[in-house]
Amino acid sequence: MDKNIRLIGNAHLDPIWLWRWQEGCGEVLQTFRSALDRLQEYDDFVFTCSSAAYYKWVEDIDPQMFEEIKKMVKKGRWVPVNGWWVQPDCNMPSGESFARQALYSQLYYYEKFGKICKTGYNVDSFGHSAFLPQFLKKSGMTGYVMHRPGTHENKEIPENLFWWDSADGSRIMTYRIPDGYGSNGKEALDRKMADMEERANETGHGMMLFYGVGNHGGGPTKGDIEYLKLNLKREGFNDLEFSSPDDFFEELMTQPLDLPSWNDEMQHHASGCYSATSLVKELNRKAENLLSAAEKWDTVSSIVVDSKAETCEFKKAWQEVCFNQFHDILCGCSIREAYEDVKESEGYALTVASKAYNNAVLRIARKIDTWIDGVDEAVLENTTNQMALEKGFPRPVVVFNPHSYNIEIPVRVHHASKGVKDSDGNDVVFQNVRASRSNDSHLDTLFMASVKPLGYATYWLEKAVDEKAEKEITVEQNFFMENEHIMVSFDTTTGYIKNLVNKENGVEFAGDNFVAIPTVINDLETDTWAHNVFKFHDIKGLMQLVSIKRIEEGPLRSVIRTVHSFNESYLTQDFILAKGQKTLRVDCKALWQEKFSMLKMAFPVGGSEEISTYEVPGGFIKRPCNGEEEPALNWADLTVTKNGKRTGISIMSDSKYSYDCPDTELRLTVLRNVIFADHYSDRPEANFDFTDEGMNRFSYGIYLHNGEAESSEVVKEAHIFNNNVAVVPESYHKGPLDPTDSFMYTDCDNVLITAVKRSEDGSGDLIIRLYETKGEERTRGMLMSKLFDNGFWFDISKHEVKTFRVRKDLTVLETNFLEGIV
Amino acid sequence: MKNPVILFPRLTKSSSHYKRYDIEVPKSLHEKTPKKPNLEGFPYPLPQKKSDYTCFCEGENGVIWYGSNGGVTRYAENADRKDDIIMHFSARRDLLDNNVIALESDGNNGVWVLTEKGATHIKMTKMSMEEKAYLLTEETHKYVDRRGMTSQKKLAEPGNLKSAVSYGHSDNDGSFTVGFAIGEIFRYATLKKEKGEYAKETLEARASATRACEANLLLMYIAGRGNGFVARSYLTTAEPIPDDGLFYKKNGETAVCVSTTDSQKKKLVGKEIKADAPIPERLRKLYTSEGFSDTDIVYKGDTSSDEITHHYIHLLVAHEFLGREDPELDAIIKEAAVNTMNHIIEGGYAIIEIDGKPTTWAKWNLDYFNSYMGWADACLNGAELLMYLKVTMRVTGETGKWEEEYNKLLFKDGYKDLVTKHFDRFHQVALAGGLDDREEIMYGDHMLAVLSFWGLVTLEQDPELKEIYREGFRSWRYSLAPEYNAGYDFIYFLSDPENAKPDEERIRTWFYRFGATRIASGVSLNMRVDYPQKLFMGGYKETSALLPNDERFIAKYDRNPLEFKNEDSGGAGVVEGCYPYTFAYWIGRYFGFIAEGK
Repeated sequence: MDKNIRLIGNAHLDPIWLWRWQEGCGEVLQTFRSALDRLQEYDDFVFTCSSAAYYKWVEDIDPQMFEEIKKMVKKGRWVPVNGWWVQPDCNMPSGESFARQALYSQLYYYEKFGKICKTGYNVDSFGHSAFLPQFLKKSGMTGYVMHRPGTHENKEIPENLFWWDSADGSRIMTYRIPDGYGSNGKEALDRKMADMEERANETGHGMMLFYGVGNHGGGPTKGDIEYLKLNLKREGFNDLEFSSPDDFFEELMTQPLDLPSWNDEMQHHASGCYSATSLVKELNRKAENLLSAAEKWDTVSSIVVDSKAETCEFKKAWQEVCFNQFHDILCGCSIREAYEDVKESEGYALTVASKAYNNAVLRIARKIDTWIDGVDEAVLENTTNQMALEKGFPRPVVVFNPHSYNIEIPVRVHHASKGVKDSDGNDVVFQNVRASRSNDSHLDTLFMASVKPLGYATYWLEKAVDEKAEKEITVEQNFFMENEHIMVSFDTTTGYIKNLVNKENGVEFAGDNFVAIPTVINDLETDTWAHNVFKFHDIKGLMQLVSIKRIEEGPLRSVIRTVHSFNESYLTQDFILAKGQKTLRVDCKALWQEKFSMLKMAFPVGGSEEISTYEVPGGFIKRPCNGEEEPALNWADLTVTKNGKRTGISIMSDSKYSYDCPDTELRLTVLRNVIFADHYSDRPEANFDFTDEGMNRFSYGIYLHNGEAESSEVVKEAHIFNNNVAVVPESYHKGPLDPTDSFMYTDCDNVLITAVKRSEDGSGDLIIRLYETKGEERTRGMLMSKLFDNGFWFDISKHEVKTFRVRKDLTVLETNFLEGIV
Repeated sequence: MKNPVILFPRLTKSSSHYKRYDIEVPKSLHEKTPKKPNLEGFPYPLPQKKSDYTCFCEGENGVIWYGSNGGVTRYAENADRKDDIIMHFSARRDLLDNNVIALESDGNNGVWVLTEKGATHIKMTKMSMEEKAYLLTEETHKYVDRRGMTSQKKLAEPGNLKSAVSYGHSDNDGSFTVGFAIGEIFRYATLKKEKGEYAKETLEARASATRACEANLLLMYIAGRGNGFVARSYLTTAEPIPDDGLFYKKNGETAVCVSTTDSQKKKLVGKEIKADAPIPERLRKLYTSEGFSDTDIVYKGDTSSDEITHHYIHLLVAHEFLGREDPELDAIIKEAAVNTMNHIIEGGYAIIEIDGKPTTWAKWNLDYFNSYMGWADACLNGAELLMYLKVTMRVTGETGKWEEEYNKLLFKDGYKDLVTKHFDRFHQVALAGGLDDREEIMYGDHMLAVLSFWGLVTLEQDPELKEIYREGFRSWRYSLAPEYNAGYDFIYFLSDPENAKPDEERIRTWFYRFGATRIASGVSLNMRVDYPQKLFMGGYKETSALLPNDERFIAKYDRNPLEFKNEDSGGAGVVEGCYPYTFAYWIGRYFGFIAEGK
């Protein structure tokens, strides 16, 4: 059996880390020039480099050099790897983001080099979530190279070469780099050669030796290449050969190897990174959600009102989001100045999404028949709506639902109302609530909107003519709220929740302990990454109550506001319980000044037989309740047995990614305030900036359920919590569209549609992506859509992501993330 | 499963084709003025584009039949099961062609269809799943049976049962007939349990099971080499010899290798081999009763592991349910098991052909397993050989050298580790070939794995080994499970009850939507828009969801039911045996996975 050591000349490039992107861009140009020179100098040298974003920089800035690279790629001397835009953090991007990482990158590689990348390559990413094998395979890749966590951080993961399986059934051959992705100099190379030799002999198969100056680029040096050439053949040792990961995997796949397998995530390396620098996390979540929602409605608009689909704009916006998912960016461990750039970049993506969304829903809304007999010509235009209102005509408002299931949620209009009706003339529950403005009536209208999947609904709002309505709102000061699903009450001494009852099964989640306790953790002894620290349990203290007040009470919702402090830091929480809602929403405002600290919202719910469940890209996984800090997407859950009943509490958020679960306590980490890009330095005296200092706004939600997490509705609740429902005040006009409609749905309660878009190839074909949410296989699921006036059947495995392409002739192709283009 | 899935009588389709102006065709069908249906807002996926629907008619109980350029769609809005709301009928399985001109209800749940090439009467007959089993078995007995072998038979006129000719062997007669025989044996066992040993139906079932059993056993003797060599199949001199393998004409004391492309390649033409070892008389009767003598026999060699595996599980089932009541038969079973087992052991764990070399595919030894070709096969073949030994021990009641071999293979030769590695090795081989897993699957292997692990889990008493065999079985589920083949799944549920997760609706659909004839034919998937195509790395195509049995091409268990095939699928020139249904049905009934509802 071939036990040769493949020499992988590579350059790990951080486009942002201890520098800003402009410097990272320069580093890429210099590294690529150097690599081309080495390729010219040494006939057998092979260079490997990842990340489509870097190639795009080079193409734009130095097209001549890009042509040189293309020639080398054609010869097989330069091997692009990782068919993703960058080496992303592999815990926090959504499943849809991984699809976009692949889509825009592999198509770029295919366009420029005539082939896609076969090897996934995330050699520096700080952990690898459980469904990556599926994402890699559906990105068109067949092998994977990773490095972290190291064996000192997790000994259970197989070393060297192994099969990595995800729960949907995907499997990918994976190489765990034993000793770093980059090295140079004789001493380092000697060490690595000896190590690889030993491993090759132990495993009976070849190994890869990665070399080259990395992080700030550089790549293989002349000295390294020449030293390795001297050692290619040594008596009594396995041969060394210049190679690439593509060739390594291709050759190893043909050898009869019985490799170990691993069917779990690969964690932990930098547990502080799940919460460091809230800004970038918030922007990532917002951009992902808004782009997905906007793209869906842009696609609907392109079909229903024949508008131009903004596919190219979305591509550029998603590329910005993908770029900012680079591990050192999204993990919050770069320098402060870099996050100024992130704001610009994500701002661009958000602007593209907002504009496209608004354009799309307005185009549709203006085709809805909102005409009322009696509204004469004088009030046809928006500028004169006021006249219609003055005359007593209700105002039309259209609510757009981007989700693939029915929603029934409160929505807000920035005007007061004295009544709300649906399009059938039925009264709708509403409530005038305090607006954020001081001008005008000071009141907004909240009303309960019920909207079908990927659909819209028209409501009619009657103007509140009494400008003094606000003064008439009086709120009795009690600290108890209840709706059909939840009962909650607060302790007036601490401001913490003292009762939290799931009304469906009567289980009390507080009682013995308070819950929703803002807990300040000492984070002094760690660095930004929290290297070698996996638990954050050193409690500095609990935030103390400053005030508690009931600020709203009405037919639609009640709100209780608490204010807590800790030294010079303040936290304001608005606990909002609305009619019919299964989630208790908490809108927070934190003025944070506590250095070297972490803020956690703690839910010590008690019980026994605890199981913690976390949403991860593409699905959910269970993890031990051992108190280690864990990454999660929209939600995490703790399910226990209480009073003989299996029941659970899920905590969701609009912008957070970090939790821990010591035994029967679930804690959401909402802030982490440490020095930017601090790598266990000696912290000389300086006016350091801290990652979360200043004002932070975020929301979290509390959802109670029967049974296990996966059988609950937590996924839908958390997605609604992160909703991008559009509320469009409209005018009076005739139009061909009905007052309510729905454009796509499935009959599966365990399937969510995450993308509805046009194909990237300009064909106009429709792309639909969906995934399974409950860990249950589903056969003969049905998807129906007015967008192509038909539907289709599909089978889906547990935790599977599926992409469909509906062609112009209405035949349907199941494809991967690359949309059947490659 | 705690409780059986109750199967109720259902409407089951069948098609009869006519010339356009045949007297049987209602004249009114020609007088119809086609009217395009209004399908706006149709609430389910339609198999064809809405614009392709050309006509419609109303049937009984709210059913509407829609005709299109791609076949006929039946819409039963009030159906009690989602899977039965939409049914689609296409050429050639259901229609002469797909261009529907007119439709007319037959007033009895069915419909008359006028298409470009003629007329078709689609009947919808209410029948129980047991009635369907009998109907299919009757068709097999009447049109497929060839001296007890029940793979398939040629039709001189495609689609016309009455044109069945007297020949039409399959390369795997020994395998497919085992499928039929096991189904019939479990029919007998079920009826004996339910109706008593001497009930008419029980006795008929026993006779049918015994005939199929004898036909299989005959293949283990017919070569007459006296060394346990098993024939793939055999013909008589009244049948043409096809050019697809090695055939030996028996001439008395010897048999001579017939000239075919394969025998020429192997330079075996004219080579002689012993052929006069005795064949039990009750087996010989299968051909002597039709007027053939020993010298009229042409048997097929180069036998593969597929046949051997089927034969050994058949020996076990026949021994357990027939042999115990029929000592003569049981003696034949035991002798066959011993002879072939000895042949395999003496051949170095291989079946040896007349050139002294192993046959192309019957190899279970480490030399083969360590070869490029055998590395991935090792996991299945290892389990097969272990199963043969367990079966031999069981039917003979002896351990001795069989157990020694068994333990040697397990613990010395490493078969214990091999049997669980199927998925790992298979996946790697697929990748090495630049293919997705599903492109590399040999669908014929599925039955072999199911039978091998069934035998091993059933017979092995050691808990640790039993669990290893269960693990081995599980290593096949990734490709077995998507088939929702009741025949496979019932056996898996029996073998690994803790991991069994029966999907009752899939079980119902599998039986309810199984057609009532096995006339081979294809369907027209290329025109369907309600089932996505799934493309794999190597270009292979599947449907994204599993079509109901009666909307797929007719196939045995050795084809991928998800394969995206068009009208040319299904090999229209034969009628196949019924084991794909009866094997599953009677095992399901016997073990209580299903029961008939009234």
